[in-house]
Amino acid sequence: MGSLLASAMAIGLAHSAYASDDDTIVVGLQAEPVTFDPTQISDLNTSRVARRLYEGLVGLKYGTYDLEPRLAESWEISEDELEYTFKLRPGVKFHDGTDFNAEAVKYSFERQIDENHPAHGSLTYRGAPSYLGPIDKIEVIDDLTVKITLKNPSGPFLARTVGMTMRIISPTALKKYGDDVGQYPSGTGPYMLEEWEPGIRTTLAVNPDYWGATPEIENLIYIPIVEPAARLSALTTGEIDLTVDVPFDSLESIKENPDVELQLGDSAHVWFVALNTQLSDPPFDNVLVRQAMNYAVDKEGIVKDILQGTASVSSGPLSAAYGALQNTDVKKYPYDPEKARALLAEAGHADGFGNCEFMVPESGSGMQAPIEMGTLIQANLAAVGINCSIQTMEWGAYLKAYREHPQMAQMSWNPPIGDPDIVLNNLLNSSNFPPGWNAGSYKNERVDELVSGAQKISDPDARREMYLEAQTLIAEDAPWIFVNHGSQIVAHTAKLKNFLVSPDFDLIVEYATFEE
Amino acid sequence: MRNYLLKRLAQTIPVLFGISVLVFSMLHLAPGDPADLLLGPDATPEAVAELRSDMGLDRPLVVQYGAWAGRILQGDFGRSVVLNRAVLPEILKRFKNTAILTAGALVFAVIFGIGIGILAAVFHQTAFDSTAMLVALAGLSMPTFFTGIAGILIFAMGMQVLPSSGMYPARGGDFFDLLRHLVMPAITLGAVSAAILARMTRSAMLEVIQQDFIRTARAKGVSERGVVWVHALRNAAITIVTVLGMQIGYLLGGSVITEAVFSWPGLGQMMVRAIQARDYPTVQGGVLLIAMSFVFINLAVDLIYAWIDPRIRYS
Repeated sequence: MGSLLASAMAIGLAHSAYASDDDTIVVGLQAEPVTFDPTQISDLNTSRVARRLYEGLVGLKYGTYDLEPRLAESWEISEDELEYTFKLRPGVKFHDGTDFNAEAVKYSFERQIDENHPAHGSLTYRGAPSYLGPIDKIEVIDDLTVKITLKNPSGPFLARTVGMTMRIISPTALKKYGDDVGQYPSGTGPYMLEEWEPGIRTTLAVNPDYWGATPEIENLIYIPIVEPAARLSALTTGEIDLTVDVPFDSLESIKENPDVELQLGDSAHVWFVALNTQLSDPPFDNVLVRQAMNYAVDKEGIVKDILQGTASVSSGPLSAAYGALQNTDVKKYPYDPEKARALLAEAGHADGFGNCEFMVPESGSGMQAPIEMGTLIQANLAAVGINCSIQTMEWGAYLKAYREHPQMAQMSWNPPIGDPDIVLNNLLNSSNFPPGWNAGSYKNERVDELVSGAQKISDPDARREMYLEAQTLIAEDAPWIFVNHGSQIVAHTAKLKNFLVSPDFDLIVEYATFEE
Repeated sequence: MRNYLLKRLAQTIPVLFGISVLVFSMLHLAPGDPADLLLGPDATPEAVAELRSDMGLDRPLVVQYGAWAGRILQGDFGRSVVLNRAVLPEILKRFKNTAILTAGALVFAVIFGIGIGILAAVFHQTAFDSTAMLVALAGLSMPTFFTGIAGILIFAMGMQVLPSSGMYPARGGDFFDLLRHLVMPAITLGAVSAAILARMTRSAMLEVIQQDFIRTARAKGVSERGVVWVHALRNAAITIVTVLGMQIGYLLGGSVITEAVFSWPGLGQMMVRAIQARDYPTVQGGVLLIAMSFVFINLAVDLIYAWIDPRIRYS
């Protein structure tokens, strides 16, 4: 008994200082990955792991939304914008040792759209309608050439090939594992799955046959830590090297810790309050009222005091991560309660109005600090005479209620791809009225025309012009209270260098290194 | 005895049926829709409707319940909507981890709860007694998430003597690592039970100690240790075991919050996630499993009565 106790203590001590070795990065996620079938992934935590395993025909230039060749070396788009011919990279192998080729591309895509496909199985392919919907047929021209013909020209098609749904998986693995392929992933990425203990850890090992530059870091370990305080504790004690979504009230303590560094990354995130633009009581159908509400809210205050400076004030749906596609020359609404009161008077509501119901979720993906922010917005509006009552809801229930004609409701959006279509079309085109995601039933015929039009062409310059004009009109119409674009907040040990935060919320750790 | 056992087992059937109906209707009547949550904001209303119909959510509740219950009777717990795997092996895997946590909490609660309770009874109306009962009252009143987070801040972040989360270190570990990781969650989870046990043990012991047979035992020269351990404790045991049995059930259910705070990969944490995603098959399967263990623990407690007190007979 005595010796058992002694050895227990000895082993306990040996492990009490977490050995941090230089060939492994440990990442603390908020939740565990759920499946590694690329067609079944819809949450950020899973895709942060799966993006190491799978690649698409096209990729993002690391840390930006710019497209660059990945599994396809080049592509050509026909004159009528219907045929996309991809020249594939030679010599690429899946993790199971089989060859990547045109047949694999066809198999990965057709599995999702053809109900009679041998690998269709009993799964629901949630991304297929939006990502693969435009595809008419997929032809194998030769081993390394694949031609995809679209039903109609589609502006966002190329950008969507970056998405998880369109990443290529080994047909051999699909044939072998069927619906369970999510537990036995086989992609072409720089890392492959070594061990997966659900709820405990996911270990990836470097792919020795990777076609590109082989990462220096041998292993990536992802562990789920649900509680933010525990996540921070694991970082400060060195158990993990990197973590995301640090709580706002812990930012100060991190800044004071010399062993830990904070990195803020640009993101395409947008946080807003949707107003029901068809409603006459409260008078949200009046553009002057909506503009007044935008002037009434102290967005700078929210960013500075609640979000601790980890966001930028928003003046439209698209953030700076969209680069030249973001229109910065739009009508802006700085905090100006006087102007808000004047606009309300002009709209015939000099005394303000009440009976407004403001829906606020208790938490939710990308929602930042919804209750604190909602309370501040409520107080700001009350100061100019608009009295709203807050109704809070659990996130699952909220998502449903949001799409059932709320008067006024918070929402945020983490676009998975870098094309403005997924923001402007999904959230503001009148074709997406509730139960679609245009919850405020915003309708401006010119905006509809521009946004729908940009879907049907692929010329980048023409599309950009259309999106810029749409943004000008949207800012004028103020269908939302524009609030902020949040940064991605990543905390890591100071020794970790050269890792990147991507605007699509990815954590690119493959080219990271440790430096003393 | 055999008849009693069969009768008791038969009684579990309506209990489990009632629980399953309750869980099923509560889940399905709660606002929120798995199809919405699964598909996310990029989905068209048509896609949501199609998925609802694929999942059978557009059928009347009674039909949905019948289909689910029919499959459960054949041992088919369905497929998790979120994990895309069969529910049963997953919940069993997590249940094992929850059982480890519960066992740890129970060991803590028994040693500290019963130990302090006995000492408080023996040293009745001393400073030890009142301090112990004050600590027990505090343990009883502090919510688990507070105790847990306070523990993380003090022992993991501040003193850095215990790990803050998980079952094993990030880079892997052995049985002793598991024990180190178990300390904080087990104490956090077991604190309330320890407090209840301490108070119940103390009052049960006090009641027994004041009875005539204890005086007789003392009079015939039995040592004080013998009086406490053999005569008093054995007679107080029925109360203690009853409370203990109820506490095991409480610990299994109460592990939900503790597991979330410490990222313990158990059934509780899995259930929280499943509820958030309205993963009906997982939630229903998990609740049924916990309810079943609760029923069987109660049965075991009833059987232990006869062993403690030979006067009890089952018929």
